Amino acid sequence: MSDAQDHNEDLHHQRPASPIELRARALEAVLAEKGLVSTDAIDAVIELYENDVGPQNGAKVVARAWVDSAYRERLLANGAAAIAELGYGGEEGNTMVVVPNGPGVHNAVVCTLCSCYPWPVLGLPPSWYKSAPYRARMVAEPRAVLREFGLELPPETTIRVWDSTAEVRYLVLPERPSGTDGWAEEALAALVTRDAMIGVAVPRAERASA
Amino acid sequence: MDAVHDMGGMHGFGPVVVEGSEEVFHEDWEARVFAIYQLINLCQLVGGPGGRAVRESMDPVHYLEASYYERWLWSAERRLEAKGTVMPAEVEAMMAQLAGGRVAPTAEDRELAAQAVAQLREGPPALGIAVNPRFTPGDRIRVRRMRPDGHTRCPRYVRGAVGVVERVQGSDLLPDRATYGLPTQPEPVYAVAFVSQDLWGTSDDPPWTVLVDLFDTYLEPA
Repeated sequence: MSDAQDHNEDLHHQRPASPIELRARALEAVLAEKGLVSTDAIDAVIELYENDVGPQNGAKVVARAWVDSAYRERLLANGAAAIAELGYGGEEGNTMVVVPNGPGVHNAVVCTLCSCYPWPVLGLPPSWYKSAPYRARMVAEPRAVLREFGLELPPETTIRVWDSTAEVRYLVLPERPSGTDGWAEEALAALVTRDAMIGVAVPRAERASA
Repeated sequence: MDAVHDMGGMHGFGPVVVEGSEEVFHEDWEARVFAIYQLINLCQLVGGPGGRAVRESMDPVHYLEASYYERWLWSAERRLEAKGTVMPAEVEAMMAQLAGGRVAPTAEDRELAAQAVAQLREGPPALGIAVNPRFTPGDRIRVRRMRPDGHTRCPRYVRGAVGVVERVQGSDLLPDRATYGLPTQPEPVYAVAFVSQDLWGTSDDPPWTVLVDLFDTYLEPA
């Protein structure tokens, strides 16, 4: 949906593919016909979360924390305030706790009851984060889940799984990969994946040089 | 509500990483349902309990079979219906018209579009500061046993377990009451750390820690 106008044309002139899509289109049409929710407002909200708000924001936060120890301190002391310094915040992200990985400590985030996720820094959650297997298993067998993501942690590493049951949203601050001394902030941000900020991966320097 | 949405610790759902699971939206209609859901809240077109409470009241088979945004669509319709904004018969009549070839009506409201983006960028206020919280970091607590028949943020897997308060997160209205519009005062919310054996018994894996944000109401001293 890079072009909202084309998307609109498709949506309003094509036959629906499934009963649930037809139902969604019908609800939108009823709301539009009643003048309650406009088509352009729907497009604008989608545009916001498809283009502006996403893990690229969180990656900049992490990279800043890697290069600026005073920023890192502020980020760990008051996540939302430090994230707002870079211009990010809003729905599902005004109470943020940033949990730092360190030697022998690995954090990961889940929402067993729902799918709570820090939208301003990570965008909307991927399907797996909202899925029953992740919600069911991440608190009860985190090592097995991490292994499915290809992440094998040493047995002596303490795993801390944060279940976002209330209104606090969590961001994992991964460890800066070795071999990145002297890298520019922008190059560092390119190493920081969404999965690393959820805690199901760790950033690696070879990603960028590959 | 002790329903199927409370998934922590359940078996039988299979592996996490499967083909297609990387996607945020699989189909266009999902993105539109997401946006509609934000907008009907913003425009105060909905009534009754909050969206989570509504989704948790879905028939459990329907909940598990429905895709994520199908649940959102379902709860959007229930909440619109609760306020009398849009009734199911209206949606179904429109479905028949669209299936019959009617071009879907559209509407333009630039002001709403701008206002929606501005409000999502602003978001709700942060949690308040907890004044004189009953527990402080390091305190041992036990999660109360309970079987609430409405919305709760106390997952089953921690009930009865002993944990240690890790942080005082702030203060907030208890969702168990607030989502139904019942009067309630802000209360402390704590991040409570549990050792894996205290939740799940012994494991072949080395112990891990599970941290859960819990409202003061759910806790008692241990």
